[in-house]
Amino acid sequence: MEWNEIIARLFKNKLSLIGLIIIAFFLLVAILAPVIAPPADADEVYQIPRAGWTMEPQPPREGYPFGTSQGSYDIFYGMIWGTRTAFRIGFIVVGISSFIGISVGTISAYYGGLIDEIFMRITDVFMSIPFLVAAMVMTTILGKGLNNVMIALVVFGWMGTARLMRSQVLEIKNEEFVQASVALGANDGRIIFKHILANCIFPVLIQAFMRMGSMVITAAALSFLGVGAPEGYADWGQMISFARDWILGGGDSALKYWYTVIIPGSAIMLFSLSWNLLGDAFRDILDPKLQDNS
Amino acid sequence: MNKRVVVLMLSLVLVFAAFSVAGAQVKNPDTFTFVTLGDQSTLDPHFAYDTGSSEVIYQTYESLIQYDGESVNDFLPLLSTKVPSAENGLISEDGTTYTFPIRQGVEFSNGNPLTPEDVKYSIIRGMINDRSGGPIWMLYEPLFGMSGLSDLTQKVVGVKDPKTLTAEQSAKVYAELDKKITIDGNNVTFHLAAPYPPFLNILAKGASWSSILDKEWSIAQGAWGGSPETIAEFHDPLKEDDPLYDKMMGTGPYILTEWVNGEHVIFRRNDNYWGEPAPFKTAVIKNIDEWSTRKLMLLRGDADMVFVPRQYKSQIRGEEGVTITDGYPELQNMNMVFNWDINTKGNDYIGSGELDGNGIPANFFYDLDVRKAFSYAFNYQAYIEQVRMGEAIQLRGPIVSPLLGYDADSEVYSLNLEKAEEHFKKAFGGELWEKGFSMTLVYNSGNDGRKVAADMLKSYIEQINPKFNIDVRGVQWSTYLDASVKGTLPASFGGWLADFPDPHNFVQPFLHSDGYYAGKRGQAYQDWAEETGLNDMIAKGIATQDKAKREAIYKEIQQISIDQAIDLWVDQATGSNVRRSWVTGWYPNSMRPGVDFYIMDKVAE
Amino acid sequence: MINYILRRLLILPFILFGVTILIFSMIMMLGPYQRLSTYIEDPSQLKGGDVDQLITKYGLDDPWYEQYGRWVSGVLQGDLGWSESAGQPVTEAIASRFPATFELAIFAVIPVVMGGIWLGVLSAVHHNDKLDHTIRIFSTIGWSFPTFVFGLLVLMVFYGILGWFPPGRLDNWALTVVMSDGFTEYTGMHVLDGILNGNFDIVVNSFRHLIGPIFTLAIVWWSFILRITRSSMLETLSKDYIRTARAKGVSENVVINKHARRNALIPVVTVAGPMVLGLLGGVVITETVFGYRGLGQYAAQAAAQLDYSGILGVAMYFSFLLILINLLVDVSYAVIDPRIRLE
Repeated sequence: MEWNEIIARLFKNKLSLIGLIIIAFFLLVAILAPVIAPPADADEVYQIPRAGWTMEPQPPREGYPFGTSQGSYDIFYGMIWGTRTAFRIGFIVVGISSFIGISVGTISAYYGGLIDEIFMRITDVFMSIPFLVAAMVMTTILGKGLNNVMIALVVFGWMGTARLMRSQVLEIKNEEFVQASVALGANDGRIIFKHILANCIFPVLIQAFMRMGSMVITAAALSFLGVGAPEGYADWGQMISFARDWILGGGDSALKYWYTVIIPGSAIMLFSLSWNLLGDAFRDILDPKLQDNS
Repeated sequence: MNKRVVVLMLSLVLVFAAFSVAGAQVKNPDTFTFVTLGDQSTLDPHFAYDTGSSEVIYQTYESLIQYDGESVNDFLPLLSTKVPSAENGLISEDGTTYTFPIRQGVEFSNGNPLTPEDVKYSIIRGMINDRSGGPIWMLYEPLFGMSGLSDLTQKVVGVKDPKTLTAEQSAKVYAELDKKITIDGNNVTFHLAAPYPPFLNILAKGASWSSILDKEWSIAQGAWGGSPETIAEFHDPLKEDDPLYDKMMGTGPYILTEWVNGEHVIFRRNDNYWGEPAPFKTAVIKNIDEWSTRKLMLLRGDADMVFVPRQYKSQIRGEEGVTITDGYPELQNMNMVFNWDINTKGNDYIGSGELDGNGIPANFFYDLDVRKAFSYAFNYQAYIEQVRMGEAIQLRGPIVSPLLGYDADSEVYSLNLEKAEEHFKKAFGGELWEKGFSMTLVYNSGNDGRKVAADMLKSYIEQINPKFNIDVRGVQWSTYLDASVKGTLPASFGGWLADFPDPHNFVQPFLHSDGYYAGKRGQAYQDWAEETGLNDMIAKGIATQDKAKREAIYKEIQQISIDQAIDLWVDQATGSNVRRSWVTGWYPNSMRPGVDFYIMDKVAE
Repeated sequence: MINYILRRLLILPFILFGVTILIFSMIMMLGPYQRLSTYIEDPSQLKGGDVDQLITKYGLDDPWYEQYGRWVSGVLQGDLGWSESAGQPVTEAIASRFPATFELAIFAVIPVVMGGIWLGVLSAVHHNDKLDHTIRIFSTIGWSFPTFVFGLLVLMVFYGILGWFPPGRLDNWALTVVMSDGFTEYTGMHVLDGILNGNFDIVVNSFRHLIGPIFTLAIVWWSFILRITRSSMLETLSKDYIRTARAKGVSENVVINKHARRNALIPVVTVAGPMVLGLLGGVVITETVFGYRGLGQYAAQAAAQLDYSGILGVAMYFSFLLILINLLVDVSYAVIDPRIRLE
């Protein structure tokens, strides 16, 4: 199937179209961030400005359309600039870790034997360390900061892709057309790129789409445990973590601080949803067996 | 199903906008549950130096005397039948011997009787144990005028590390310890090296190091056996090798049932208690770090008392069945320590490390004008009102209210950007104003109060001159500790929780050259404090017995610390307590480590 | 097959070695002062010489191989060391927390897998119609909100308002019963112990405490299982034999229930293993919210305090479980699908 046809189908499918529109919207917000929410300090654009010093969240009001969160951080500013952070974490982490995973999985399955054994045991080693433990030790060593969070996410986030890729390659390795190329004496590089990768990449791609969305949530979990982005950094995960102690409201109303949860929550949800829709649509389009069925 | 559940949940949330609160009826009348955060470090009274541990020790162990109600200066007898004073003759005229008549008929919860020998054993065991970083310096300072066992071994046998003492040397050192506490019939007498006005505070209940152990039981557990020759073996143990780490045997109103670190501590009533029996059959300290969970437990009545960080108090104010007491002073302060002598080696918090606009020099804070300018660039009022929610008072030097030397009318700094500018212009002969500076203020992440303080300084100082640049950076606790030990932080946050309610306990760590915070200011400060006579004043303060004279000395020290802007003195928090309204008998005492199950009861409203 | 199992088990020591070396070298990148933070809660307790004294006391400035050697020789004698963050020996710390988390994970797996499969099949059968879309959107919502948001909401509704499912593991009275001499703690899992002791009040009480966390985990993990079931089911439905069955006029119900579902579940078995592991490690947040003292919370606590013997202990434990679960999955895979041979 040609790429332009894939894209045409993506636009035709109602759900994936919705996904695409949402992503386009977020992309636009990310690009226009300096216009929508002009930073006060050009050196530290990701630092959310404070509306004051009070700890208690304050509801939306003039100048602060989304209200202020715990510590008087401007929710609107955090959401707008956090869009950039979401894309940055998503693209960089998913990109690099997928690359590592694909390489490890392909090499492992293609060559088999001792190489496979060694690579898979290394994978096991990395899988044995609970992710949150690894992330905490990493940020302690490297220091707090978004880049260090991303390093931790990459270093301990490639194993799933590697395993998936390996099983895919193993399946296809013995197919006739691959064996034929081997018999014809084609070199390994050519076989891997031409035949194997081209035929195995889609499940990995679909998985990558899903992970794009879930990265923001992982970042929120890290913020919850105190190893996420630095305090006050524009990051959706942190914005929702600010709501932690206020979710249940107070005194007169359980919904007193709704804006601290609903606003960042909706953004994370829409972001995640759109990538998921896109991933699903991709699978439906690319899986030829399914098409026959429909 | 998923959909239905979500819909159900959302509608429930909407419908029940308010909580249903357990009625006026008392829930679990036989049990008292206190829910707080954190954990306990150890149960050994001589090892413990944190509030969590002391709180547990407080319920089971007893000391010779105790505080009278809310007072931190008046005492009542406890295991001693009298509180020594000059009037009753139990304190000698020169103020160096204190005699305690030991109460008879008291039993430990295992049935062993309390004897004067137990008292002596307890104190000496503590002084031998003297773990590094522990609280036992408070016994050495009055008894020997030293800061620990290693000072004593150095003096007596010339050995710096007590763990290397031979049996013979050990016996010599022990002989010195032995002389300090003597038994005469039913009386135990402490012999001080010099008068030490707060000595009774050091022995009062709440100070866990003054707890009285059962000698026989302790030896059976494997603690120091009473032999003069074995000091080396029992000095400075690892926590896990300490035989009393997880066991307790006291004379107090409660007995430890189970300790699960970080989850709960459960006590049962000591039915054999020598005083009035305790009101609750079971008492529980539960550790739950999540605020919302603690809040729900209080509202449901499953918790009788909870710890509430002040920023969340607005969430429960006005709830039915909940009582809040607040505004009483806590003997705790917070300040920002200026490093007068920054270690520039491998330091990435000070930019270029020079006065060139891109960094700060090592002696940046040695300049009085810089310190004063910083002190004027802090919004004390907003900090107290908005960050502390009004539950704090501004500091007037290291000494907190209501200790001797605290003067509520003394002069303090307030936010004044004009004055700050004036001082910045004078600093470094005007060079600083000309060139500007750049530095990083570091706080340990998770500490919101410190972050706001740093942000505040940044926002005001950067307003004064565009060439001034301050970064605020949060670092992990381990990094913070590392930088703090190495002296690379240009300014760090500090605070002190009183070990004993005496101004000496504040001026010593904050201002004396040997004090903890003087170490954070570097050699330059230590020399300065020596040269200006500040050290001598502190020494004079503790050696003086006359109250009026002491007060004058401490007032002067307070004044110097403000005039010289030695640190940025931020605030003293006031305390608060949140409990179910059915709890009666609670009162605050700032020297009590947390809860006291013995004084309370639960009565239907 | 026995050969295969033995070979997998022989790998364990190598993995353990790899894991410990990896973690140790990471931690040793920190200086001794930084690692001292494990032992210091409040630096103002330190006096002048204390810092160096403490460094010597804990051997923090020894070369890394000496520290590693000390630790390994302890392990070889069956001593995993002292966990400063737990205030217990590592073995005890894990032994006391594992049953709690295991109990939670096991009870959570049942509704998660059952519900997830049911929803997944439903979604696949109604491929691309309204029901499918609704299920998928709600599952994305479940997946997209951080766990603590759900945890706190569940706590508020079922405890704060209704008073049904309190936090913690047991009520105070139940705790007293469990600690008493008349009650034997065989496994540390209160539900099972309650049954073994014939004390059903304990069973009910501990169940009440489990439901909140289980419900929270279910909301989050349903979408995971659902997604896998759905795609696997869709694939199976397009297989030749299904089409043949349909062509032969077998009723749609029989096709789905008898032919398709069983085959579609194979991939679910493969992920169920890693999922249990994920649950064991990923319950940190749920445990924190519900004040439920388990392994996840311990792992996070040890990591936050840089308590290296604690971290190493947990990681070794996980490696062991990983190998074991993978082995179980492989074996059950071979049992379900006879075409697969274990080599």
